[in-house]
Amino acid sequence: MGDPRLAITRRELGAITSEKTIVLALLIQLFIAAFSSFLVVGLVSLYDPGSVSDGQIVTVGVAGDASESVEDAVRSVRGSRARFFESRDQAERAFENGGVDALLLANQRDDDRIGVETVVPKGSLRTTLIVTQVREVLEALEREERVARQNELSATPVNLPPEVSASPYFGFTYTILLPLLCLLPVFISGSLVVDSITEERERGTFELLRVAPITLVDIVDGKLFAAVVLAPAQVALWLVLLTVNGISISDVGLLLVFVTALTLVVVSGGAGIALFFGDRQRSQLAYSTGLLLFFASLVFLPEHPSSTIARLAIDSAAPISFISVAGALVVGALCLGFLREFARRTGKDQL
Amino acid sequence: MNPRKILRIARWEVTKGAGGIDRKTLVAGVVAIALLGVVSAAAVGHGVALDRGIYRVSVDESSPYYGPVAADPTFDIREPGSTEVEITIEDGGFRVSPTPKGRAAFAELRRAVERYNDRVMAAEQNQSAAFPVAVSITYANRGGGEVVVPGDAGQSQPTTADQPAGGESPAQGTEAGDGTGGAGGATTPIPQNDQSVSDALFGGGTGDTPSDIAPPFPFESLALAFLFVLPMNFVIQAYGGSILKERINRRGVLLLVTPVSRYDIVAGKTLPYFAAALTITTVIALAIGGGLVSITAVIPLALVFLAATFLAGMFARSFKELTFVTVAISVFLTTYAFVPAIFTDLNAIALISPLTLVVRDLQSEAITAGEYAFATLPLYLTAGVLFTLGVGVYREEDMFTQRAVHLKALDAISSRIRGRRSIAFLSILFIPFVFVAELMAIATLFALPMTFSIPVLLVLIALVEELAKSIHIYAGFETAKFDRRFSLALVLGALSGLGFFLAEKLTLISQIVGLPELQLGSVAFTGVEMSGLALLGLLLAPLALHVVTATISAIGAARGARSYAVALGVAIFVHTMYNLTVVTQFG
Repeated sequence: MGDPRLAITRRELGAITSEKTIVLALLIQLFIAAFSSFLVVGLVSLYDPGSVSDGQIVTVGVAGDASESVEDAVRSVRGSRARFFESRDQAERAFENGGVDALLLANQRDDDRIGVETVVPKGSLRTTLIVTQVREVLEALEREERVARQNELSATPVNLPPEVSASPYFGFTYTILLPLLCLLPVFISGSLVVDSITEERERGTFELLRVAPITLVDIVDGKLFAAVVLAPAQVALWLVLLTVNGISISDVGLLLVFVTALTLVVVSGGAGIALFFGDRQRSQLAYSTGLLLFFASLVFLPEHPSSTIARLAIDSAAPISFISVAGALVVGALCLGFLREFARRTGKDQL
Repeated sequence: MNPRKILRIARWEVTKGAGGIDRKTLVAGVVAIALLGVVSAAAVGHGVALDRGIYRVSVDESSPYYGPVAADPTFDIREPGSTEVEITIEDGGFRVSPTPKGRAAFAELRRAVERYNDRVMAAEQNQSAAFPVAVSITYANRGGGEVVVPGDAGQSQPTTADQPAGGESPAQGTEAGDGTGGAGGATTPIPQNDQSVSDALFGGGTGDTPSDIAPPFPFESLALAFLFVLPMNFVIQAYGGSILKERINRRGVLLLVTPVSRYDIVAGKTLPYFAAALTITTVIALAIGGGLVSITAVIPLALVFLAATFLAGMFARSFKELTFVTVAISVFLTTYAFVPAIFTDLNAIALISPLTLVVRDLQSEAITAGEYAFATLPLYLTAGVLFTLGVGVYREEDMFTQRAVHLKALDAISSRIRGRRSIAFLSILFIPFVFVAELMAIATLFALPMTFSIPVLLVLIALVEELAKSIHIYAGFETAKFDRRFSLALVLGALSGLGFFLAEKLTLISQIVGLPELQLGSVAFTGVEMSGLALLGLLLAPLALHVVTATISAIGAARGARSYAVALGVAIFVHTMYNLTVVTQFG
């Protein structure tokens, strides 16, 4: 039967697969992923005028003594059209009956500014789109007016790069979704190890292991190995799914190494907590708070693990990212060493 | 239910738990939580740029673009001449790699330059030349409106804010009725504190400049609302563990043989955790300035969290399994609470989530009783049903047997069947689930194009409703509560359809909020105005439909698992076709 530690690992993995929980875990992740992309697409269509496929045009009603400058600004912005009105009343009537989507009432003020009163409809699905469009128009107006007042300014504003049509959720995918998907299996693995160790104690099955010819270090090794195999496997599945969805992932090998190292850190911590406290309730609470504490405190590193994941996947890895991966490996190995020493000192008979 | 017994069991639950948690652990826990607070605060102060260094830019220090690029942590500056970059800036020209990443980087560069310019201009002597455009926004219902000057975050009353940049005059034009009767005043949230998160979202502005305009998306309130949901995960973890503990090594027998009812036991065991959730909610509400509305809006959410976890604790075979199921519950409920709240512009959609009530409360807006009912009633009912099902299997023969989760679920449903009439009753009982599932579907689908979302929604609705009408019939046959007879299947199907039809009329509550005004909502909750014979036909048509489809599933359920699956598929198809006809004919 070979190494007793592998027997323990097999036993762990067997228990997980027989309960079908692993399938459930994968389904949860699938749900999150499907959902996030779904949500992102929905939100983007609300917030980003450029991404709306059917070319919605926002019609802006313009009135007031500074309306010429505003009309120029409207013309310079994609997806918006200007309608000029002689008087404020006419403009408001057009707004009331839906002839225009928004009103810009622009007047020269005494303090050498242009005061723009903006009216946008409330509580419609297009409100966000209209407000975003209006903001672009006003920013264009502001730029033109700054140029006109060039002589009164000590610094010149930097010229804006031209507009391009870019996927607005490109960054989101790599900086939020992907780290979430990579870290979730890590966290769940840690939780599993806590469960696995405390449950042996609560059910009294440690008694059986006690009479088996293995040490506590072997048992811990076996349980850890199961968890450390599981998380990267899940993440690998993820990366495949994302790639199929047209999201290209770079440095896959390094990503998996990094996830494995993080898993080792988190799982060793979880196992240590479980051995120390013994009962599940306290262990799980300690594990959750400890995990939160740990990941929050990593903000003070030069690069947070979630940033490392994002940079590796998006193909912008810098030397610091590679140092992060190496550091995680070292810390993981140290954690494992400490844990084994702790288990050796604890011994089976204490449990 | 006996209050004295419940309180005693609750006290045991606390003292037993506290017995497990000695003074040392308690101190350690308090220290850890305090540390967590300190670290989080420090982390936020430190600034969390999740997108640090994801785009590589090659730019020379002499370039005017060096400043904006260096100021934005998203960019990773590479030496001039590097080839592995997304953007190369030289002599005022740009070379952008022709990839999605390159385009995204370039769009980010444009935003970075805008932010940089605003910062440079803010330092100018002559502010009127630096910010030559002053803006005020009015959000008007076509027929009335309120003025909000960008910069006075989160106040909904019309203001004439005294900006440092010069006074604003509220728009004079649109003077009409009071529009909405107080609900949903427009706000333009612009964070006053210069935090990196809000900077990234809105660009820290000085008050009334164009860059200060933000779409009416109460990001901050939403983030605060998240604070209410986060601790729930810890509470349910402890609660689920406590429930499962009763089932391990037959520990729960001790309580079951005492002269208290299982309702008392469950209520007593749940009470401390509910109290904990309530306390945490109240503390958070006081800390972030929410009132009674916030607390009462979070309570039903807490109850559903607890009820779902109770059921999970009753079904799970081990702590590992419980952990997975708990994660699933957290994910689903958090999503349910968050997604609708994101669409704040849309009353009907946003109010699906009780968190919207919290957001409105934080922005000191009024909430009507109808809106409160719409956001919370489905959750209250769902929690009630889940607890009912769980208590049904809180008995010796179920608690200490190891069965797969789905078989346990069938047992739980079957434990509520006492004869044929129960079938109609259970169909009524499942309505809250149907309601919650359909609301969730609407909230997630409505942002997509109609041509895609309407058919998908129709299939989903049919699926949810057919499951709700037939799962208990299947459970009854599987657990041998009923003989597998064809004639009996017909009777049960008819009863189930009738019960469901009666209960569906309860969904009229959705009319209060005006969900049917939304095109998608009208698909799920149709209410068509007609007369005479047509009206009678319309009233009877759904009844006929529910009876027919439920009977199809029941006939399948009487023959076993595989036939049930097939029959369910047929029933869903029929139901979808019917819905499609209704939508295209009357929609």
